[in-house]
Amino acid sequence: MLLTRRTLMQTALTLGAMHAFPGLTWAQARPLVFATFTGSWEEAHKAVLVPAFRKATGNADMVLDPMLSVDQIAKVNAAKNNPPIDVMLHDPGPALQAIAQDLVEPYPVEKSAYYRDLIPAAQVPMGPAPFFQVVGITYNPETVKTPPTSWADLWKPEFKGRVGITNLNSTLGTGFMVELAKMHGGSETNIDPAFKALEALRPSLAAVAANPGQLATLFQQGQIDISPGNFNAIQILKARGVPVEFVIPKEGAIAFKTTIHIVKNSPNKELAFKLIEAALSPEVQAQLMDEPFLIVPTNTKVAIKGELAKTLAKDHAEIAKKFVFQDWAKINEQRSAWIERFNREIRV
Amino acid sequence: MAATLRNVTTYDLKLAAPLAAGFAVFFVTPLVILLALSFQTDPQGGHFGLTQYVNFLGDSFSLGVLGSTLWLGVKVTALTLLLGYPVAWLHQRSPGWAKGVIMLLVLLPLLTSVVVRTFAWVVILGRQGIVNASLLGLGLIDTPLKLLYTEGGVVVALAQVQMPLMVLPLITALGRIDPNLADASSVLGAGHWRTFRKVILPLSLPGIIAGCLLTYAAAITAFITQSLIGGGQMLFMPMYIYQQASTLQNWPFAAAISVIFLVAVLVVVSIFNVLGRLSRGYTNA
Repeated sequence: MLLTRRTLMQTALTLGAMHAFPGLTWAQARPLVFATFTGSWEEAHKAVLVPAFRKATGNADMVLDPMLSVDQIAKVNAAKNNPPIDVMLHDPGPALQAIAQDLVEPYPVEKSAYYRDLIPAAQVPMGPAPFFQVVGITYNPETVKTPPTSWADLWKPEFKGRVGITNLNSTLGTGFMVELAKMHGGSETNIDPAFKALEALRPSLAAVAANPGQLATLFQQGQIDISPGNFNAIQILKARGVPVEFVIPKEGAIAFKTTIHIVKNSPNKELAFKLIEAALSPEVQAQLMDEPFLIVPTNTKVAIKGELAKTLAKDHAEIAKKFVFQDWAKINEQRSAWIERFNREIRV
Repeated sequence: MAATLRNVTTYDLKLAAPLAAGFAVFFVTPLVILLALSFQTDPQGGHFGLTQYVNFLGDSFSLGVLGSTLWLGVKVTALTLLLGYPVAWLHQRSPGWAKGVIMLLVLLPLLTSVVVRTFAWVVILGRQGIVNASLLGLGLIDTPLKLLYTEGGVVVALAQVQMPLMVLPLITALGRIDPNLADASSVLGAGHWRTFRKVILPLSLPGIIAGCLLTYAAAITAFITQSLIGGGQMLFMPMYIYQQASTLQNWPFAAAISVIFLVAVLVVVSIFNVLGRLSRGYTNA
């Protein structure tokens, strides 16, 4: 065949079209798509989970597609029959939404080698939890000389104009509100005390961040000195030399289990299962526990060591004691009403 | 004759077909879907009705969010015009090399991402930012002022971020004005101020209106700058839509808010358009 300009163009266009619309080339299935979170989670998964998965599957094709939980749900919801994602990662609130909207498959527990080794709280049949997120008090040790010991310290007069919180769009913000309610005699179903407490905190607030990521930058800029904060988010700041410390308040750390799910109608169910197995395996979890990731393992076969043992808990029994898990099924029922109320009441 | 001689003033409409198809698929269709979605009465789907619109329009809080967003746009546009006009004027009056420098300075921000420009403002307005540090250093204040997370901060940051959208049309409009007109005006005895008010300003009206239109539309829809400088306690329409759609997965309400916002913006845009048409009549008179 002669290489004319026309045949070259045709080939190029066809290849281009095949690339732009992978659905056209049905001979080749698309790679496994794993929607992880952005930031430190993406880095951790790229560095540890992806290589482990490649090893376990003989270099199967996969891509990471980092995005927020809620965006994952929106994306899958928009194309339920041919979802663009195979494995989703969710905070407790969105996880329940995804399950309620029938977007995820039950996890094939009986096939799993690691499911039974997970701590009870992480054993979720619709999608097990490969790790936790832990929320405590973060503060700047250069400006806050006596380390805080309780959530109540945020209300101390010396922190006037220096406290940061996030609004209820985030899991962090909502979880903190529930904890506030509990401190003042409320619960997941009675949030009034939290709003009252927040009203009292208002003069102290330097900022209401739009998301937890923004909270981290606020520490960096010296805009706030103390806030409820995510243990892992703090580690990145610390690694960059920002003066910031994390303590578990005496009321206990708020813990969110982060669950991992096989998307319903995924064409890559087998690979999805293998990726999740890798995420639950003691090898991967032990590696993710080390510096610089410091991710809390959920597999009881992993002995907690290092920085985690020092700041959080020395073993899984202590985790069960120190970590507070909230009832997100109840929270979800009223979350929109709370957000609306927050919108109205916490304005400056 | 007409059959043999091609009329050069009419073009084949087929040339626009690819663009029209693109618009139909990627703009009109989603808009229709959005509209249909906004008439769903509950997020799970099923029934159709006006519930979402009633919820929004019957709620003073939601209307307040809409009002403060539209008002924010007015403030930003006014500030941008106030600061942008002298820049465009300077560009017009400068020698060739300086024109190039001014144009580069105006265009430079467009080459960096909005996120970067906004973060610069976070640094400038922060407690230990440039503004507070200099004021503290000069002994004018004792404690840092709260500049970030205030509406003033949002207005200033948005004005800077959207500045090129105002300055570029102004430069074009001012460039079209015959310099002899100003000379003629002063020969006839008008001072600088009078020349500006009676000759330059009216002739630059089309540029002002185009600039205001672009700045206004960009300012009220600027999700990133609004949320980063405004923080989590200041609610404007883009964040309101995001909150309902993403966090709460309440798509019908989010769609209804979007439609209402779209209509509100269209109303403002048509007011600008009417003004534009009036100004053209004015300048031609």
